[in-house]
Amino acid sequence: MAINTPSHGPETDSPLPPDTEGAHTGETGRRKRLSPAKLYLRRFTRNRPALAGLVLFFLLVLFSIVGPFLTHWNYQEADFTSLSVAPGVDGHLFGTNGAGNDTYAQLVHGLSRSIIIAVSVSLLTTTIAALFGTTAAYFGGKVERAMLGFVHFLLILPSFLIIALVGTHYRGQWQVLVVVLTVFGWMLTSRVIWSLATSLREREYVMAARFMGVSPLRTILRHLVPNIGSLLIVTFTLGVASTVQAETALSFIGFGVKQPDVSLGTMLADGQHTLSTAPWLFYLPAVMVVLLTVAMALIGDGLRDALDPTSQSGGRA
Amino acid sequence: MLRYIARKAVGWFLMIVLATNLTYFLANAFLKPASNYTALRPPRTPAQINHSLALYNLNPNTPVLDRWWHWMSGIVLHFDWGRSPTGGSVNDQVAYRILVSGQLVLGSTILAIVFGVALGVYTASRQYKFSDRAWQGLSVLSFNTPSAVAALAVVLGAIALNQALGTTLLPVAGAQNPDVSGFWGVFASRFTHAILPTISLTFISYAGYHLLQRSLLLDHINSDYVRTARAKGLTRQQAIYRHGLRTSIIPVATQVAFAMPALFTGAVITETVFAWHGMGEYFVKTISTNDVHGAVAVAAFGALMTAIGAILADVVIVALDPRIRVS
Repeated sequence: MAINTPSHGPETDSPLPPDTEGAHTGETGRRKRLSPAKLYLRRFTRNRPALAGLVLFFLLVLFSIVGPFLTHWNYQEADFTSLSVAPGVDGHLFGTNGAGNDTYAQLVHGLSRSIIIAVSVSLLTTTIAALFGTTAAYFGGKVERAMLGFVHFLLILPSFLIIALVGTHYRGQWQVLVVVLTVFGWMLTSRVIWSLATSLREREYVMAARFMGVSPLRTILRHLVPNIGSLLIVTFTLGVASTVQAETALSFIGFGVKQPDVSLGTMLADGQHTLSTAPWLFYLPAVMVVLLTVAMALIGDGLRDALDPTSQSGGRA
Repeated sequence: MLRYIARKAVGWFLMIVLATNLTYFLANAFLKPASNYTALRPPRTPAQINHSLALYNLNPNTPVLDRWWHWMSGIVLHFDWGRSPTGGSVNDQVAYRILVSGQLVLGSTILAIVFGVALGVYTASRQYKFSDRAWQGLSVLSFNTPSAVAALAVVLGAIALNQALGTTLLPVAGAQNPDVSGFWGVFASRFTHAILPTISLTFISYAGYHLLQRSLLLDHINSDYVRTARAKGLTRQQAIYRHGLRTSIIPVATQVAFAMPALFTGAVITETVFAWHGMGEYFVKTISTNDVHGAVAVAAFGALMTAIGAILADVVIVALDPRIRVS
């Protein structure tokens, strides 16, 4: 999206008087030495929705860290004197659920649980996908075919069902959920990375490293992975959004995080039976989860536009 | 063309067989059918439980390979997908539930495609105007809304509407009223019951088509052949519809075919919320009741959907794109 504010564009200094020709070239010469980080930052901050997403995500993380210290309720303890009271009653800021748990404390804990799961799964899947895809592309030939065959095989497995099977077996520990979501989440990304890395492996610097006898691992880590860095950053951000969705879905139908642990998905599942009597149990976690996914999606889109060298959508910088 | 499809179908068939068998062993490792009997009163001894389970080929003391052979030969010889731990036939359940799920998923898919593509064309021809930005904002929001939130929000809205009207205009649970009779009565009841789940499924799936169609059409709208069409004297709208849209709709068609399995898992949540007894609800039920054979049948159905989607995608590409020739 080109939100091209006139104060930032290079066009603003075009109506220069002709006698300042020397000063003008000096100006453009200085402008050309813009470091990549500054360029990306400038293109990202020009994208107002992306900036809003970043602020929103920062606020959500801050809320999940600072939030527990702002209440004296624990998310696990039940207040039996006030069951399912509306927000603001009896000193419960966001009310309580049918068992007497404080909704505010649960919301803060559920948000941090969802963020931890989403960020760690996305980090792990992006790392595995990057290493797997580039390794397959670097070696080529039989190794490549075997590795791609493995990816295709994992892709046709009913991953949602297997995640649910393993998740119920281990009674909803969130660490197990992270592992299974990672094991079945990296394949599509690694296929995309592989197709990009096949063109990278023909580049001169990779060839030079190969013929100089640099070890494969070093070549992959020093030359192949950094060159797809921008793709990895975007994949990571969008992966967080999609993992939040997957975790919410699994916890909602009872195969993800389980009692006594709380995530936004389990809170939604709690709220679904009391929609008309206690609607706050639904809309508070619903608003949180939508804010989280939308924030990550906006950041991801903004990063893609800022990091893509051929992208016109960031405007000129 | 037929040979090409046949070759693809054979490859997919082998993959389905492999995935189904692997799920069979995984389900046997993680699900414990005996737990359906441990809560019964009077309590049964382990020997009694195993005897009951042996009737349905689920006895944990039989070697898993023997059980697998029995299960596999049942499918190959009689197309019998086995029985649940309490004796219900998997075939009966699946046959009924596919129809229930099918009408839900098919209806919302068609609506989402029509709505999404139309919106994509509309917003692409008004790039960066207010309507484009407003629709795009809404689509980013709906694309990132978890299906549980969408379904429950629709229910909340319907409850408020029903209370405001003082009558149940839109029922929020079940696929039809149990006490209606006659063809039109059943049809009307099914139709009103399908409105809310279809709305919530369409809401979460249209945005993908909208955003994709918009960006693809924007790539083509400034190309040479659309400009040539304008130079020939076509109106801007005619040029976009006849020349721009026709080329840019091909990747969208591929997307539709591959979205079928994803829609199936999206329907799990929707069916749970709206109490529809479809395949999605069956998936949840089989796992929570330790139904090994039912869970494997769900996996096989999912793999079959993926295969049909992939083959359809190939066919659609060949049919729409004149540059691709299959020989």
